[in-house]
This record gives sequence, C-alpha cells and structure tokens, in this order.
Amino acid sequence: MRGRTPLLALRQVSRYFGAVEALVDVDLEVHAHEVVALVGDNGAGKSTLAKVVAGVLSPSSGQVEVDGEPVTISSPSVANQLGVASVFQDLAVCENLDVTANVFLGQELRGRAGLLRDGEMETETRALLEHLTIRIPSVRTPLRHLSAGQRQAVVIARTLIGQPRIVVLDEPTAALSVAQTAEVLTHIQRLRELGLGVILISHNLNDVRAVSDRIEVLRHGRNNGSFPASATHEEILAAITGAA
Amino acid sequence: MNAIDSVRDILTRNMRQSGIVIAFVAIVVLFAALNPNFLSPTNLTNIVLQYSYILILAIGMVMIIVAGQIDLSVGSVVALTGAVSAVVVVRQGLPWYVGVLAALFVGLLVGIWQGFWVAYVGIPGFIVTLAGMLLFRGLTFLVLDNKSLSPFGGTYYDIANGFLNGLLGGNGFDVFTLVIFGIAVAGYAVSQWRTRQGKIAYQQTVESMPLFVAKLVAVAVVVMWFGYQLSISRGLPIVLIILAVLIIAYTLVTQKSVFGRHVYAVGGNRHAAELSGVKVRKVNFWIFVNMGVLASVAGVVYSSRMNGAQPGAGNMFELDAIAACFIGGASTTGGVGRVGGAMIGGLIMAVMSNGMQLMGVPQSMQQVVKGLVLLLAVAFDIYNKRRASVLR
Ligand SMILES: Nc1ncnc2c1ncn2[C@@H]1O[C@H](COP(=O)(O)OP(=O)(O)O)[C@@H](O)[C@H]1O
Ligand SMILES: [Mg+2]
Repeated sequence: MRGRTPLLALRQVSRYFGAVEALVDVDLEVHAHEVVALVGDNGAGKSTLAKVVAGVLSPSSGQVEVDGEPVTISSPSVANQLGVASVFQDLAVCENLDVTANVFLGQELRGRAGLLRDGEMETETRALLEHLTIRIPSVRTPLRHLSAGQRQAVVIARTLIGQPRIVVLDEPTAALSVAQTAEVLTHIQRLRELGLGVILISHNLNDVRAVSDRIEVLRHGRNNGSFPASATHEEILAAITGAA
Repeated sequence: MNAIDSVRDILTRNMRQSGIVIAFVAIVVLFAALNPNFLSPTNLTNIVLQYSYILILAIGMVMIIVAGQIDLSVGSVVALTGAVSAVVVVRQGLPWYVGVLAALFVGLLVGIWQGFWVAYVGIPGFIVTLAGMLLFRGLTFLVLDNKSLSPFGGTYYDIANGFLNGLLGGNGFDVFTLVIFGIAVAGYAVSQWRTRQGKIAYQQTVESMPLFVAKLVAVAVVVMWFGYQLSISRGLPIVLIILAVLIIAYTLVTQKSVFGRHVYAVGGNRHAAELSGVKVRKVNFWIFVNMGVLASVAGVVYSSRMNGAQPGAGNMFELDAIAACFIGGASTTGGVGRVGGAMIGGLIMAVMSNGMQLMGVPQSMQQVVKGLVLLLAVAFDIYNKRRASVLR
C-alpha cells in the first residue's frame, strides 16, 4: 500500500470552534480499494473530520489533498465534483421524495432547458440498487414509506452517483437493528470491491473490525494510533480511552 | 396489472389527490341539483372570471408552501401593482402594455425584496411577508393618494373581461373556442400517451389499456362539454388562456425541472437538501421572486376586471390563495403539494362561493362554510397521514 499516492489525504488538518479544538493537526490517508475506519469516543472530532472532507466545514488550518493535489473543498457540490461522497450521521433524506429523487438529489441529470431526465435516473437507480443488492419495493416509493434500514441503504446508494472515488460514512449503522447493520456492512464491502476508498466512522468496534482494512483512532481531536484490522479489541479500546 | 388492481392502485396511492377530485365533482353535482342555473354557460364563464386572480396567486403560493414558507403579502401586492398600472395608464395616459410592464416590474422588485430578506438574511417568510402586507398596502395608498383611479377601458379592460369570439365564425356557437379546446384535449391525450409509453420503455407499471382509454375519454368529454358551454356563451375568455398557459408552464417547472425538484427537497428536509448540494438560499430567493411576479400578473388581471385601482383592492386574497393550496392537498409542514391540486382547491372555493351566491346564501354564512371546508380538508389530510404511518 505505501508509496502509492493516496486518493485522499489530510495533512495536519485542524478545526476550531472558538476555543474548542475539534481537530488538531490530524493526518489521514485513504487509498483505493481500502476501508479506513475512524474510531473515537463521543466528541473526539470524527463528525467534524467527515464534514471537513464533505465540504460542509472548512479547516482552520492544514491541507486536504485529492490524488496528491491540494484542494479546497468549499461546499458539498465542490466535494461532489472532486469525487467525494458523504453520508452524514443524522440520516439526511427527504422523506417526501421518492427513492430516485433522493439518490440523485443535488446531482440530477439534466436534459434540455433544465428539465429532469426522470426515466434515465430511474433506470440508473434501479441498476445501482441491484448492484449493491439492495432490496426496495420500487424506486418510486417515497422515503417515508421505507424502514430505517432501507433508508440508510438508499443513502449509501446515493454516494455512488457521479462516480465518486471516496466515500465518507459517518456512523451509518447507529440507528439500525442488528440485521439491518449486517446489510449495511455488506454494502460497505461492496464499495471496496468497486475500487473506492472508504472512510467508515463508527464507535462500534465489532462493526469496524468486520469490514475495515485499517483502524485510525482519534482522541480529543488528535491522532491517537493506527491499527491493522487484526488488532485486538483491548489495544484499540486503550487508544480510544487513553488508558495506555 | 389488471384493471381492478390498477384502479385500487390509483386510488390508494393518490388518496389525497383523488379525494380532492371526488370532492370537487360532488360539490359541482350538488349545486347543479340545487340550482338549474349553476351549469348555465354564462355562470360557468363567470366562475372562471371571478376566481382567475386567486388561481394565479395559488400557483405561486403552492410553490412557497411546498418549500415550507408562506406569503401573506400577495393581497397587498395585487393592490400595489394594480395601482402602479393605473397611474401609468389612467393618470399618465400611456398605452396599456406600458401599464402591464410597469406592474410586472414592480412585482419583480417586490419579489426580490422579500426573497432577499427570507433567503439571505434568514428571516422567516411569515414575518417578512407580514411586514410586506403592511408595507405594500401603505405604498398602495401613497401611490393612489388614498383615492380610486379608473377607468382603464380599451385593451387593458379586455385582459380580464374580453373574449375571443367569432374568429372562425360559427352559428350560435364559437368555432374557435371549440378548436382550442379540441387542441387542448388532443395535446393532453398525446402527452398522456407519451408518458405511458415512456413508463413502459423504462419498465414501470402503468394502468391497463381500457382504464387508460376510459380516463382519457372521461377527461375529453368533460373538457369538451365545458368548451361547448363557453362557445355558446361569450366565447373563450382571454383570462382562461392566460391561466391555462401559466398552469401548464408551472406544472412543468414543479414536476419536471431541477428547480422544482429542489423546491420539494428544501420543503421536505432543508438540512438534507443543503448537505446534498442543493442551493437552499437560491431556491428560497427565487420562489419569492416568482411569487412577486405572479402576484403582479394577478394584480393586472384584477385591476382590469375592476376596470380601475382601489386602495383596498386584493384585501384577504392571500387567505383565499393559501386556503386553495391547503384544500388542494398541500401539507402544512412543507414538502407536499401540487399546482394541479391547488387549482382544484381554488375551484372548490370558487364553485362554493358562486353556488351559494346563486342560492342567495348571505355573505356571512358563506364565510362560515368556507372556513369549515378548509378545516375539514386539512383534518382529513392529517387523519390520512396518521393512518398511513400506523400501517407502515
Ligand atoms: N458546530 C459546532 N460548534 C461548536 N462546537 C462544535 C461544533 N461541531 C462540533 N463541535 C465540538 O467539536 C467536538 C467534536 O465534535 P464531533 O466532531 O461531532 O465529535 P464526534 O463525531 O467524534 O462525536 C465536540 O467537542 C463538539 O462539541
Ligand atoms: Mg459524530
């Protein structure tokens, strides 16, 4: 793995909220075909890091690189253009819109005069769901009629629109049952098989160890250790809690 | 999919939409039974003319409500734009189209003003337009010097009172009107057919052929009958043409354009829309600009119909427009509602007003009935929603 240019790299990234140091000099690299887990206690700065990468927050200092090139991710649509797709912690979907509309939201296929190419979007959505082996009755179902697990599957499918290369998932299983969690983890593995770089944020160590290639620990906004997936529960837990 | 399944599918999936159509038909049948004049050609024409400006307002209002906002200022904007137009045409003696353009321009400025405060300063639309309601009413009094200004006369008067009649001749009925309605029906049939073919091509489910044809025939019969009634009366009202163009254009914008999709997204979940890359501020800005312009169109139509401008014009129009949207199925929490629904909601109010007038029901009682209808329509909505969430 070493030596290749990473898809995404954070170099000495910091982010402050007034006096709160949410991120301090954080380094992180993600390569293609790799699931990197980001773990840490509540308030460790995981969501802040996800939002920096997604273009929702800008870093106070430090550099973000995509393909080794320094970039400024100033908004979610810039992130989309750079091939970065994100799933946020709080199940952000529009319940009034159907599956297709949610999957393509903000990146709709436009035809003449700004009109929607609905048929094409539906076909593509159906292909996408099939690809990820997501089972949903119809792509025209409004999201309010789907279960939490199905919604999360839609949100994950959504990340594949516009051929992203990096996917950031912030606690994608937090609101899900055991069975639904297992399905979502399968989808994540599918993303890796497709050649994407994935950042998986979680504080469930079992989930993380099941699917990730590498585990990075954040503590009080700082890097606090990097582990292979084979590391023991205790080692990782010690880094998370700081009980050295 | 067999016929029964598809009927059930249409009814359950669009419970609210079909409920509103059924309610509309029931009200029409009720008044037709109670009063023989109700379906007379003259009266049908009157209903269109009397309520056209509310329908125009409801088109813009439904987009605002879908986005989770509200606009209380449209009545005052109707008055202000009509007043400006009257000053230009009646007082200054400039041609009718200068008055129309001046009104549209004022509507645009009003929209930009309110859009700015809502979208870029972040003040809720409720407050901005409450302020606008006072502000623009005050400006109307200033512009008109507290006095009415009339008459417009001429071409300006014809905008809301004129008919296209006799263009193609006809004996006792206007051929031109029938031709236009024929084209409309044909256009509707073709677009429905193409939608159906498109769905088949993308392997979506469609209703069965007999049901599809039955639906088309039913629509065609009703529409052609209405066209015939107009044609044996005074012909095709110009307002109806304006209204039809607006309805078609805005149905496209809301249902088929990226902008329309984003309006629904912002109303459904503003936060999610923003994180998905939807430019929420832009959406909020443009729906208010759009409302300002549509309110000025309504202002032109209303001042033309009244053949003058009064300081108190358009009072309470905002409430009628908002009621039309909610009766027509818009959700009070945003994200749900359609132009077509709002139009039927508006027509329900129009038909009720007109029908009760014909029966000599006093004004006070009419208000009571309309208030109750609004309440029941929204209650029905909430009841449906609750039942749906229990079923899930
Ligand atoms: N918008 C914000 N304003 C102020 N403080 C914030 C904001 N977002 C996060 N924080 C703070 O930054 C720290 C890291 O938060 P977060 O990234 O959400 O942690 P995690 O996702 O790891 O639980 C916390 O102390 C939190 O209170
Ligand atoms: Mg978090």
